[in-house]
Amino acid sequence: MATIPTPAPRARSSAATGERRSWKLTTVLAIASLAVFIPLYLAVTMALKTNAEASSGSGFALPTSLHWSNFSTAWDLVHFPRAAAVSVVIAVVAVVGSLAVSSMASYAIVRNWHRKAFRYSYFYLLAAMFIPFPVIALPQVKLTALLGLANPIGVGLLHVLLSMGFNILLYTAFLRSIPFELEESARLDGASTWQTFRQLIVPLLGPMNATVGIFAFLASWNDYMMPAIITADAQYQSLPVVQNIFAVSLTTNYNVAFASYLMAMLPTLVVYFLAQRWVLSGVTQGAIK
Amino acid sequence: MTATTRRRRSDTAYVWMLFPALALFTVFVTLPALVGVFFSFTNYAGFGSWKWVGFENYRSLWHDSTILGSYRFTLLFAVVTTIVVNALALALAIGLSSKIHFKRGLRSVFFVPMVLSGIVVAYVFQYFFSFSVPSVASSLGWTGGEQSLLANQDWAWLGVVIVTAWQAIPSAMIIYLAGLLAIPGEVYEAASLDGASAWRRFRSITLPLVAGYVVVNSILSFKNFLNAYDVIVGLTGGGPGTSTTSVAMGIFNGFNNGDYAYSMANAVVFFVITVVISLLQLRLLRGREVNL
Amino acid sequence: MSQLPPTRRQVLRWGLLGAAGAATSGALAGCGLGSSDDIRFLQNKPEVIPYFDKLTAQFNSSQRGVRASHDPTTTPLTPQFVRGTPPDLACYNYQLEAASFLARGALSDLSDLPEAKTIAPSVQALVGQFASYKGQTSVLPYSVASAGVIYNKELFAKHDVAVPTTWSELISACKKFQAAGVTPIYFTFLDGWTLLQGIWDYVSGGTLDVAAFFKRLKDEEGKVDKNSPASFSRNFGDACHKMVQLYRYRNANAPSLNYNAGNTEFAKGKAAMYLQGPWALTPLAAANPKLQLGSFALPCTDDRADTKVRVNLDLALWIPNDSSRKEQARTMLQWLMRPEVMNAYNKQALATSPTVNAPPLADPRVAGLSSYVQQARFYQGASTYISMTIPLGNYIQTMLTSGDVPGLLNRLDTDWANRAARSAAA
Repeated sequence: MATIPTPAPRARSSAATGERRSWKLTTVLAIASLAVFIPLYLAVTMALKTNAEASSGSGFALPTSLHWSNFSTAWDLVHFPRAAAVSVVIAVVAVVGSLAVSSMASYAIVRNWHRKAFRYSYFYLLAAMFIPFPVIALPQVKLTALLGLANPIGVGLLHVLLSMGFNILLYTAFLRSIPFELEESARLDGASTWQTFRQLIVPLLGPMNATVGIFAFLASWNDYMMPAIITADAQYQSLPVVQNIFAVSLTTNYNVAFASYLMAMLPTLVVYFLAQRWVLSGVTQGAIK
Repeated sequence: MTATTRRRRSDTAYVWMLFPALALFTVFVTLPALVGVFFSFTNYAGFGSWKWVGFENYRSLWHDSTILGSYRFTLLFAVVTTIVVNALALALAIGLSSKIHFKRGLRSVFFVPMVLSGIVVAYVFQYFFSFSVPSVASSLGWTGGEQSLLANQDWAWLGVVIVTAWQAIPSAMIIYLAGLLAIPGEVYEAASLDGASAWRRFRSITLPLVAGYVVVNSILSFKNFLNAYDVIVGLTGGGPGTSTTSVAMGIFNGFNNGDYAYSMANAVVFFVITVVISLLQLRLLRGREVNL
Repeated sequence: MSQLPPTRRQVLRWGLLGAAGAATSGALAGCGLGSSDDIRFLQNKPEVIPYFDKLTAQFNSSQRGVRASHDPTTTPLTPQFVRGTPPDLACYNYQLEAASFLARGALSDLSDLPEAKTIAPSVQALVGQFASYKGQTSVLPYSVASAGVIYNKELFAKHDVAVPTTWSELISACKKFQAAGVTPIYFTFLDGWTLLQGIWDYVSGGTLDVAAFFKRLKDEEGKVDKNSPASFSRNFGDACHKMVQLYRYRNANAPSLNYNAGNTEFAKGKAAMYLQGPWALTPLAAANPKLQLGSFALPCTDDRADTKVRVNLDLALWIPNDSSRKEQARTMLQWLMRPEVMNAYNKQALATSPTVNAPPLADPRVAGLSSYVQQARFYQGASTYISMTIPLGNYIQTMLTSGDVPGLLNRLDTDWANRAARSAAA
């Protein structure tokens, strides 16, 4: 992968010449942002309509009265708390697993680059980037069932594995930029490898951990394919998967369906707006490394 | 790396650090992949009795118009979506890094699609294309828009492109934004003093400087689009007909219908194609690295 | 400092993490249905899930030592067999999918049960039309659904149209309705299955001997091309042209309607005929309780003796070999097969029990099909013999809109040959 230099902090300079900011361009972008707003607007209005209102017209009209009961209907119908709990389990396993497994492996690889076994392991693990899930999905179904992992924990674990190649790439690139001299003094004080890793390296990895963690969270929380294929018991299906209840059996109750879609979208939206700057800087970090 | 070479003492702690990654990868990726290759030469249904059939599954694939169609769709979809996503993401990134009002607010709006679940977004758009658009079109008297785009065998793929692009643009945009911020402002200022038009500034300054990012972005997004599944499940279910059935979808459909071994053969072919494409892209990337 | 303590702590931490994970999964398991000692009874026909909920409760209260939990989810079955965790007892629609479990020897033999001997041979033969395994009886039919044309009695009376008994009468009835501005036949394109079980199965079943055709096709073991005697091109041409002809008498909005919307519209009296089985009668009655409906078998030739009715084993019982509670499952199977339980179910489902002296269809809405079932003048739909991996519904859509009959038949011959070649042993 190409390594692109970190951008110089130049964001302030345009603000400094604020008087030349273009209204024309702002308007164009504001109009373009409608492309983001319209589907979201549709989801919100549809979710608040009565069944009769929802089953006619374009969907853009505002509801005559706010029909909040759609949310409770959807809540019960998809067993929202259960599905959300499942999604949380998947995301926790994916995030914690990705951070731990990939950072440890990357540290070991970077510090032992001179040893053939570690070098080859690196290329072996990078191969994960070339293996799309559909390719190994079918044997996975059998394997996860055999190991008692045809459940959310297994799904989280598979997320760890399939993103491992990319994560190791990110971590190793970052770790190579940490000078070894930093560790040397700790070593001289008698710290073991584990201690060095925990007390020195892990704190240094902070920004990279944020990046990997955010990617792991978004990918595992929003994924449909893997839980749909791997999870054996329909009761342990994640939020995205339970949404297809509506597609399969309730084709006409669009108001309830949209209430459910909205509830499925809300957690990531809230997280995004609360932790916006953090998310963006983290993702940017990942993008340019 | 010179620092590392100073340390020759072997340390088992490093082995234990690497071990989980290697063990998990071997058990959960390498072994299943090998088992899958083996069964692609049988008529195994995933359970019960089976026998060796040699290359029969692969021969069948070659004559299966549905499967061939899924490869055609997937490649066309991936190419078109990559172009659309990168063109729009670059345009938006340029806009968002220019001197505009409400910069922060606009930026955070454009990032929203990235954090949403693909299948849920697809369900919302499914309604949008099936009901909202036809209803608005007919009230405007715009014939041709009255039928749902998704019900049109020849054009439903466009719907899949639109929804996928809607979701994928933000992450490409981030990379472009990062790239554009790295361009020193003085370069532009000098150019505008010279009286260069906006288009000329884009062509002779911006584009060459972000060319590397275009390549990185195209490679990343193309690989993701090859695995198209979630959005299609929510939007068209692979139809109408089989016109929007992706390769991944074909593999899972076959599996659910008892065609385990055959779908494995399909997966092996898909894997080989993915690797070939990735290697070609890496070559392309390596050629570019000099310019970055 | 030595190296060991932190490592051990690390290990401990991982252990704790694992324990936390296990606890979460345990908590998740806690909110599941029933306990793990129950037999898992799979029955997911959407219309009758509440009925079987009640039936399962009745069974549980009648038993000591055996408890069943009703699993109504619609997760695909094949992955369950792949995982080695199939249901203990299934009461499931029997067609190619379930037949593939039978064909691979994944279902247990039930021929020693007295209940197996009560099934009418003509009905048990339907099971064998799809697959067999070492002469075993592993699937017991439970509910035979007969499907014909649902017709609006008021519209027929108003426009003075008699129930057609030949193809010519059918076409002239269509023309008469069309001339009077009434849509003759209602189609719902958006749900491909409605085309499969409707126009495709009815017209082919009324035109040729479907079971015999597929037996010949199977005997040829996939060496099919358009010139071989048992090929779609040779045998289905007549039927397909009739489908295209019948399709002319459709509703204009057929391409954008799904099954649910179709029911709502047909219940409003928007059309005279509807190619649907008894399952549609319940939603139709719900949408319009005053609607006067009847059913007749679709005639496809001008010889009345050719007319037959489409049946399917809407529900059939089987017990997988991988079940660890086969004995308990058999107890429940025998309880379900008690005449009073089985006949009561079939009566409310507007279907027929598979036994030798089953009560005839009495409900006026389906009584028109009763004599066909009694005389075993029935066939299983041609679509049910064709693997789901062949997108037949889509092919039919294309054929109906373009009128390209040879194109569809060629594709079917190729697809069939391909599939047969690679699954010859199954």
